[in-house]
Amino acid sequence: MDLIQILVNGLSVGAVYGLFALGYTLVFSVLGVINFAHGAVFTLGAYFTYLLIGGAVGANGLLAGFALPFALPFWGALPLAGLGAALVALLVERVAFRPLRRRRADPLLALITSLGAGVILVNLIQLLVGAESYAIPTGALGGLPASFPLLGARVRTVQALLLAISLLLLAVLSLWLEGSRNGRGLQAVAEDAETAQLLGIDSTAMVRLAFGLSGFLAGVAGGLVGLSVSIAGPYFGIGYGLKGLAVLVLGGLGSVPGAVLGGLIVGLAEACVPAEASGWKDAVGYGFLFLVLLVRPRGLLGRPLPTKV
Amino acid sequence: MIPGRLHRAGTGLLALALLLAGCGGDGGKQPINLAGGVPVGAVLALTGNANVYGQDQKIGLELALKQRNGVGGINGRPLKLALEDSGSDEPGANAAFTLQINNGMLALIGPTLSQQAFSADPIAQRRGVPVVAPSNTATGIPEIGSFISRVSAQSSVIAPLAIEAALKLQPGLKRAAVFYAQDDAYSTAETTIFQQTLKGRGLDPVTVQRTQLNDQDFQNQISAALREQPDLIVLSLQAVDGGNLIRQLRELGYRGLIVAGNGMNTPNIYPICQKYCDGVLIGQAYSPELDTPANNAFLKAFRAAKGGATPPQLTAQAYTALQVVAEALVRLDKRLPLAGANLVEARKALMAEILSGSYATPLGEIRFTPEGEVIQSQFYVARVRMDPGGRSGRFALLK
Amino acid sequence: MDAGLLEQMLLGALLALSVYLPLRCGQLSLATPGFYAVGGYVAALLSTGVPAFAGTGATSPLPALLVEMVLAGALAGLIALAIGGPVLRLRGIYLAIATIALVEILRVINLNLPFTGGAMGIFGIPQPFAQPEGYVAFTLALLALACWLCQRLEALRLGRAMAAIRDDELAAACVGIDTPHTKLIAFVASALLAGVTGAVAAHFFNSWNARAGSFDASITTLAFVVFGGSRLWPGPVLGGLLLTALPELLRPVGDLRLILFGAVILLGPLFFPQGLVTAERLQRLQTLAALLPRRRGAPLAP
Repeated sequence: MDLIQILVNGLSVGAVYGLFALGYTLVFSVLGVINFAHGAVFTLGAYFTYLLIGGAVGANGLLAGFALPFALPFWGALPLAGLGAALVALLVERVAFRPLRRRRADPLLALITSLGAGVILVNLIQLLVGAESYAIPTGALGGLPASFPLLGARVRTVQALLLAISLLLLAVLSLWLEGSRNGRGLQAVAEDAETAQLLGIDSTAMVRLAFGLSGFLAGVAGGLVGLSVSIAGPYFGIGYGLKGLAVLVLGGLGSVPGAVLGGLIVGLAEACVPAEASGWKDAVGYGFLFLVLLVRPRGLLGRPLPTKV
Repeated sequence: MIPGRLHRAGTGLLALALLLAGCGGDGGKQPINLAGGVPVGAVLALTGNANVYGQDQKIGLELALKQRNGVGGINGRPLKLALEDSGSDEPGANAAFTLQINNGMLALIGPTLSQQAFSADPIAQRRGVPVVAPSNTATGIPEIGSFISRVSAQSSVIAPLAIEAALKLQPGLKRAAVFYAQDDAYSTAETTIFQQTLKGRGLDPVTVQRTQLNDQDFQNQISAALREQPDLIVLSLQAVDGGNLIRQLRELGYRGLIVAGNGMNTPNIYPICQKYCDGVLIGQAYSPELDTPANNAFLKAFRAAKGGATPPQLTAQAYTALQVVAEALVRLDKRLPLAGANLVEARKALMAEILSGSYATPLGEIRFTPEGEVIQSQFYVARVRMDPGGRSGRFALLK
Repeated sequence: MDAGLLEQMLLGALLALSVYLPLRCGQLSLATPGFYAVGGYVAALLSTGVPAFAGTGATSPLPALLVEMVLAGALAGLIALAIGGPVLRLRGIYLAIATIALVEILRVINLNLPFTGGAMGIFGIPQPFAQPEGYVAFTLALLALACWLCQRLEALRLGRAMAAIRDDELAAACVGIDTPHTKLIAFVASALLAGVTGAVAAHFFNSWNARAGSFDASITTLAFVVFGGSRLWPGPVLGGLLLTALPELLRPVGDLRLILFGAVILLGPLFFPQGLVTAERLQRLQTLAALLPRRRGAPLAP
């Protein structure tokens, strides 16, 4: 197999995994829990993008035939869809996470409450717009060609865009985390919520910020993936959610660069699976994760979990 | 930690539950409950990851119900359809089947997935309830038992036609690449037939690529396949994964012929592969272009309900399944009036009636073998023709 | 209540106990569905492939089922034993994800092995019981046995060691508890129970395929335990029974069914953070139970 093609395929798939895991990791870093509604928020981002570019709802569901009275260009719709997804993520935080935090309940419970929120969202989508696939028209990128050659390999334009935007978002996020007041506040809460509180950082606001950001990233990722492949119904994000989980832990829980590194590694590893063994592809990410955890129990770039004394 | 008394109370409760469970069982001489109409049940995957199939099927059942009750129902008595969601898994299908049987349904339509059928159909078989499967294409479904039948033809009869059509279009084809979803029952069954047919025509596949049903990105498999420089690509995939694969194939520069299996015979592929759907050859168990009174009536009803669109195969097959049950009920009621009959015997007689009839359906003329396998007179190969905008298209029959 | 649904609820309760066992010593292992799937394959393969297991009568012989259960439990337990050592060094959410990974790996293996029937799986599995009521009685006995063992555990040194690890692993190690060994026992017992349950389920569901053990199932079984309560064994049992029945009981609401189901899962832990079953509630129940017979029995007293 030619190396360039493997690299291109692996990195572009890995970028999506990474983007997905980034949202997981932001929430994990401040709360120490995994948000199982993240996949549903991702799915919503894709639907929001579809609606904002003027797409109409199909013949099933309560909103059959509905379309927004305006149509935005794709690049205008994408950030707005991200904001919409961020709002939903904040709502999820409000109903599924905050009540538990206030009661200082076992973080384990948040796995279940967020799962419940995810189940509600997925089935709400189906109730409203039906189970059918929606697609962002291939022409949404304007005059760009569908694919282009690169050093003897062939790259789909959307995939290259996905990779570029993911890396861009990662860079912006890292700079913001290091350079801004809120970013440092977020890190401080991630480090130690109680000390941060003593230092005058509003940890509740920081948790909300983490959820908003994670929702935004998920929404944008959903819109971008929806451009690359169709929006395959209400369960669109679930498969990515599961892969994202492996990526998240592989990179190290709570580590931003870890999430992206994990994504790229899983993407590349999957791309290296030879054709004859393509049935085993889904096991590659998990197998890799499994092995890494055995050697390095906190993932590649993760901090060790605090030991109870 | 747990008080002993409570423990004993719990054991007692368990024993009570056991006793209650043992007291169930139907009388056997139960009459048919005809209040509100002649009861027929349907069990479809309306939720879970097969929800889109259930959604398509539900429309077909609703249209068939309306059609039947518009022409007098079952000899003047309305047909009553009870629809239950099975989810997309086996436990859900079993629970829904049992519920419908307990509620006194004369016959069942469903379940959506073959895997669900292998789990739920034996329940209906044991309790003597006729099942007409609208979408199970796996080998061995009617063989589950004497009460199990289907209107969905197996891939073994449809798939070879599409390959023949491709070879007729381009006789010089040499290098075939095959794709299938290895975790999907339909795909794995159909690809076996495709590969046999290809070998039979001296076209040993140059590569066989396995995908997963929930995969959306196929660049790895596609670049691996394109390295073999195929001039024919044969897909056994469902609408969503198949549509995405076609789009990515074309975007990555494949120009040759594409043959798709029966699972992609649905307009649901249009929004997925868009303009890239154009030219794909599809094996069909149902053709919207079939010009018969039965199909024209179905098309008219579908378009009135869903506004100008083309019905998917799953909708037509579900419509057919209820039509078959309804027509059999009409005949049965004339012979053995449902009003006085007892449920157990009526179910048994209905099964015999279903298998003995011949039906003019949207799928064409159909009958059943004594095992319950469908005998369909016509299958089709269509070529997708997309509108210039790439938003919608049609399945143009190959002559 | 219908016997078929009752059987599904009982299977749910058994799986919940399987998740509860490692959790009892603080280990969040979600590997249960993977072992459940393996156990089901053992039963499905034996009873469809070996004539002696299928028997010749209308129903397959009961001893065959028992042998399948033993073998299914043994295989699942052996897998757990083989991987338990390294896996159980992981903690908290890392362990949870690693065990989810294990479930997915097992699923892909089950799908790709040459003798497991691929996507279609194995079907036409013979029936040891002619009626679902037979399954209910059998599974009830199995559940009662499992509950009894869990109850016995409270009194045993092993049970106290498990509780000590859950409360504080370091402290437990300091007082001389062999923590890796104890955790491994809990993990293997959990796998064993899941494997045995899978063997029964494969017969009950008539067919078996790789979808039996999936990520969704991992989370669902965890929900059983969290919902019912993870401290005492009646918690998971109640959670498994209730949450399995819930989607069926919600059928009258039609399209809103799963939305309501999601709402229950979301709200349950908010209103009952300790789960439905807690020590205080049990105590109160016991007081009630103690009062009732006394009041009724009073006039009969000499």
